[in-house]
Amino acid sequence: MFMISSRKKWNNVTLLFPIILFLFLFFIIPLASLLLRSLTEPTFGLQNFEQLLATSTYVQVLFNTFLVATLVTVISLLIGFPLAWCITLMPKGWGRFLISIILLSMWTSLLARTYSWLVLLQSSGIINKTLMAIGIINQPLEMVHNLTGVIIGMSYIMVPFIVLPLQACMSAIDPMVLQAASICGASARTVFFRIFLPLCKPGLFSGALMVFVMSLGYYVTPALLGGVRDMMLPEFIVQQIQNFLNWGMASASAVLLILITLVLFYLYLKVQTDSPVSSNTGA
Amino acid sequence: MLLSHGSLGWKLKSSLYIITGVIAAFLALPIFFIMALSFGSSQWLVFPPPSWTLKWYERFFDNSQWIESAITSLQVASLTSIIATLLAIPASFALVRGQFRGRDYLYTFFTLPMVVPVVIIAVAVYGTFLNLGLTGTLFAFVASHVIIALPFAIISIINSLRLFDKSIEDAAVICGAHRIQAIIKVTFPAIKPGVISAALFSFLVSWDEVVISVMMASPNLQTLPVKMWSTLRQDLTPVIAVASTLLILLSLLIMIIASFVRKQSNHH
Repeated sequence: MFMISSRKKWNNVTLLFPIILFLFLFFIIPLASLLLRSLTEPTFGLQNFEQLLATSTYVQVLFNTFLVATLVTVISLLIGFPLAWCITLMPKGWGRFLISIILLSMWTSLLARTYSWLVLLQSSGIINKTLMAIGIINQPLEMVHNLTGVIIGMSYIMVPFIVLPLQACMSAIDPMVLQAASICGASARTVFFRIFLPLCKPGLFSGALMVFVMSLGYYVTPALLGGVRDMMLPEFIVQQIQNFLNWGMASASAVLLILITLVLFYLYLKVQTDSPVSSNTGA
Repeated sequence: MLLSHGSLGWKLKSSLYIITGVIAAFLALPIFFIMALSFGSSQWLVFPPPSWTLKWYERFFDNSQWIESAITSLQVASLTSIIATLLAIPASFALVRGQFRGRDYLYTFFTLPMVVPVVIIAVAVYGTFLNLGLTGTLFAFVASHVIIALPFAIISIINSLRLFDKSIEDAAVICGAHRIQAIIKVTFPAIKPGVISAALFSFLVSWDEVVISVMMASPNLQTLPVKMWSTLRQDLTPVIAVASTLLILLSLLIMIIASFVRKQSNHH
């Protein structure tokens, strides 16, 4: 309010210039040139996309990617829901303790956690040994270098991304609403399915969408815990570049991955109506 | 009921608590498991280990490749943290204070690197840097890590800046301070927790980054996660457990500092 408005505009431009220049040079230009290569290499045209859709390996890769992302989302929802519920219910101190466990797991090195699962799940690992000692199985289960390993490892990584938004959503629910329903004679089951669950829907939806999108683009965990036969889209892209130097195919699949991701992200923004910059809620 | 601790049926409550206990263990145990294994004597990572030893630590610290990659990681993460924070501070001011159209779009643009799959950023930057002959340089590591650290830095600075009442800064200006002076002496101390967590999280993002780093690395220059990655693809040697433990300890340290900073800011 102490500045002339034209000067203010000029100010904003100077403040934003460094970051925009940086992102333009190192993010937008590389990204655009990668995506363009799908049309220009080896010659101009749509041949890469045609080749992609004609390859049965690629269809398999695409199927695996969506299968893993869907299963991981469902499993982490099933694990995350009771955890978020419990955090909301518990006395503050315990709730905070559980949240710090979640944050610890979230910010612990991804490689360290994946390595840990590699060791835990291997055929001579502690899980197989325990199961054999109890007598549940006779032969060690094959849990690494296949889809089972990928799904266990990735669900483990994704649970925090469900719990945090879901817990925020649950703690905003007024317990009196549920109380009112039960006073009016609704059974616990009815209250759960007809009132509690619908009120949790925004949290469930944004968490699930985020996990699904992240799972589609995950590279490290599938590459280490998965097998050669059940490759996912990110591994396929890296393989095309590192092993076959086929930039055309790699960028055609990158175009596809980025399109799916951005469409889902757009949906995510639609679900989250609260704007972090413009609106004043919460400030 | 269902959301109040007292009125939940004991059957439902106890089963919920048991499930939660199991899930909490599922989340926490693999981390402690790997730290314990780094002291185990078994080459094949048998658990519980037959005896305890420090030989894997000796092997880690005797190997110049591990040490050099750890030093590179520290350098890259520190530079990334500084640059990302310095880029994010002015941008956050413009986004929170500015009254121009398209602020929401700009904010979305700045957080885009968090949404685009890392593998695509890695491949894109690799393609460009390969053409420029920049792969395998410290510059390549830092520039590519800043891209993915920026969203975290922006989000934490914007959050603290939105909580700051601008009229306090204006009051300083009315009392005769220059605007810049007011920002440095009044606003900056108030948003310091946000700036510090921006720096810490940028550091952590870089420190833990694997996919981009694998692409940027050369035989002469690699970060700790790259060295772990290439070793992991050969065998599961307990030396990786040592490296994991070091990564975990540093992340833990940074998280403790971050929560300490947050607690301090709540007291004001």
